[in-house]
Amino acid sequence: MYKMEAVQRSRRVLVSGIGVVSPLGSNTEENLRALIDGRDCVTPVERFDVSKTRCKTAGQVPDGWLERAFAPGRESRRLHRGARMAAVALREACESAQGAVPELSVVSTTCGGMSYGEFYYKRLLSSASRRNFARLVGNYTPQKPIQDALEANRLSIPTKIIANACSSGSDAIGHAFELVRHGLHECVICGGYEPLSELVFVGFDSLQAATFEKIRPFDKSRSGLVLGEGAAFLILESEQCAAKRHAVALGEMIGYGVSTDTYHLTQPHPSGIGPKLSMKRALESAGLEAAAIDYVNAHGTATIYNDATEGAAISEVCDGVPVSSTKSMMGHALGAAGAIEAAFSVLALREQFIPPNINFSEPEPVWKFEVVGNYSRSARLKYLLSNSIGFGGTNATLVLMRI
Amino acid sequence: MNIFVQGIGAVTPLGPTRLETWAAIGRGERAPRKLFSNEIAGRKYFSCPVPGDFVSDAARQPRLRRSGTISLLGAAAGFDALTDAGLKPDSKSDNRLAVVFAICSGGIKYTRRFYHEIVAQGANSASPLLFPETVYNAPASHLAALLGIDGQSYTLVGDSSVSLSAIHFGVELLTMHHELDRCLVVGTEEADWLLADAFASWRMATNQNRFEVYGRASGTIFGEGAAAVLLGRTGTLAVSYSSPGLPFWSFRKCAIAARELVGRSNSERAPDLIVGSANSTFVDEVECTVFSDAYPTVPVYAPKPAIGEALGASGLLQVAFAGLALRYQELPGTLDAGAKLSSINRQTRSFKGSEALVTCVGFNHQVNALKLRAL
Repeated sequence: MYKMEAVQRSRRVLVSGIGVVSPLGSNTEENLRALIDGRDCVTPVERFDVSKTRCKTAGQVPDGWLERAFAPGRESRRLHRGARMAAVALREACESAQGAVPELSVVSTTCGGMSYGEFYYKRLLSSASRRNFARLVGNYTPQKPIQDALEANRLSIPTKIIANACSSGSDAIGHAFELVRHGLHECVICGGYEPLSELVFVGFDSLQAATFEKIRPFDKSRSGLVLGEGAAFLILESEQCAAKRHAVALGEMIGYGVSTDTYHLTQPHPSGIGPKLSMKRALESAGLEAAAIDYVNAHGTATIYNDATEGAAISEVCDGVPVSSTKSMMGHALGAAGAIEAAFSVLALREQFIPPNINFSEPEPVWKFEVVGNYSRSARLKYLLSNSIGFGGTNATLVLMRI
Repeated sequence: MNIFVQGIGAVTPLGPTRLETWAAIGRGERAPRKLFSNEIAGRKYFSCPVPGDFVSDAARQPRLRRSGTISLLGAAAGFDALTDAGLKPDSKSDNRLAVVFAICSGGIKYTRRFYHEIVAQGANSASPLLFPETVYNAPASHLAALLGIDGQSYTLVGDSSVSLSAIHFGVELLTMHHELDRCLVVGTEEADWLLADAFASWRMATNQNRFEVYGRASGTIFGEGAAAVLLGRTGTLAVSYSSPGLPFWSFRKCAIAARELVGRSNSERAPDLIVGSANSTFVDEVECTVFSDAYPTVPVYAPKPAIGEALGASGLLQVAFAGLALRYQELPGTLDAGAKLSSINRQTRSFKGSEALVTCVGFNHQVNALKLRAL
């Protein structure tokens, strides 16, 4: 149990490692190049039948990028591609953190190995044979892929899996941040993974939240989201822990705020109260005024409702700030989105640039911020916010600082 | 910092609240078994469902009009825990109350219906009403809305040990966030034929209407239910040990992890009671080994033969029963207890004790343990 004497409030929390695999690239440097180039990595879906859905595209991670996740063999062929994504990103995060020893993992997802559940159900309906059932069942749960990925990286540590819909990734990183900041842990690996799933793809299509056009966050004529996939992990550790190894920090996490908007299960309150509260609480947690923020990495799904809500919130809290949504380049990776975007935010701080919001032509006139449209640009960034908004009214905001 | 259980709530196949459930368990009742009505391929399994009228109060809430069983159960257990703490559930909790949900399979009934529509009728026929309720955090979102929470609401997913991780998560939130007065931790689960058939492919579900624990492992029967604990900073029932759990990468290493965790939870003396997670699978053998080695004379109660295996809710149900046992100084008898664990308690009886150990061995590579101490 935690001793109150050990609970501190203001330890510095450093980001000492990052690993990312996304439709933009198979590692951090490839992702960085794609962000700077403003590359559109949304492609036609081939993994399942999309002939009857309105939306037919998604940001997808090529299987070839994931082959190095596990040593080849019969055992590795059983594993879900979500495990492969997580393993690749975990490995890169651990390598870049130069010998960090995480005590805990806090991970996010919304689907886990759902596609194995889909195969299982289809086979159940079409055949009396139970061949491969055990493999499909054994690997479809959300915890199994991450356990496989941790095992592949020889990380025998406890895992907490947060499934707060699309804010899960930020929540996982935010909770890990709080644990280190308050002295409950010294070093935590945190992030999320999300493989594309037919059920979820059709789900967003059925809600008419997905678009058959390009994804255009914050554009006046936006028509909806496209889904994405990927995994990202950050290693967060206390300053003292990093100093012992003479580790080079990539950035510093300084704040986390959450809110719950109880308006509707799938629609945020139009006033923007949800993200407004999470942004204000994150700024309070960081001890910053809104005027200090140099950039907002927005949730920006390009649905009518999300962008209206988030736009209202950013306009009120961070008047005039540059904003972009990196989902414009790779789609919405749901439970991994917050983690991937936190990693992108660290890269933006490190490389001093703002990633672009591609496919953008015209802003909503009521918004009081600048959308960084179509081309990345150099910028002096010291502090930034990364927003996440999810089904169920969950909102999370991270505050990151340049080292 | 000491964190206390201020209220306990439960809804199970044996009763709509903790009180009716506890009374039925004390009488040695077994939840009625029903065959799933939606089987495929002729494979039949029994389950322990919660009768619809047990959650009728929750179902009358406008917010829960279209929600699935899992959300109704979670809300009912949450309200029961608040009532037990002497609090009137209101809709103005702001950020002073947090909710943490523990879930394993989630809204499997709606998920199955939604995906069946995709497979059988095509993606363009899938109902947009079903999809939102398939999302893991739908139950937490509904309860947060009913309680007017504008702050922290989390859903943790995992195997049958996830409940204890969720309680640990709640302890962490209260330790770190001084603006929080309380944290309501809820474990909830619904049952479906699909779940039983999936577990049967691993030989972990039986098609019989009973299963023995700490004896012959024949596979389990799935149950529905929910339990909740309201955590706060004052009280008389302390969470004296909690943990995020430990992983194990093979069944062979499971007992090692469980033994290590039980060792870590060790205080100056042995607990007075153990509530185990035995469900007639590999779990039983692991717990037999660990309990026999560490606490050979401490009485063990295993609730699953009475109410079924409720996965994400099961750990919280165990914690609820441990808390009630300490409160009422009554030790329930384990139904269908096998011969492999000599310390199993077979008949309900009164006992004197102040500390209970709860263990959960998950099927997906996590074990966890928690201790409660009555002050």
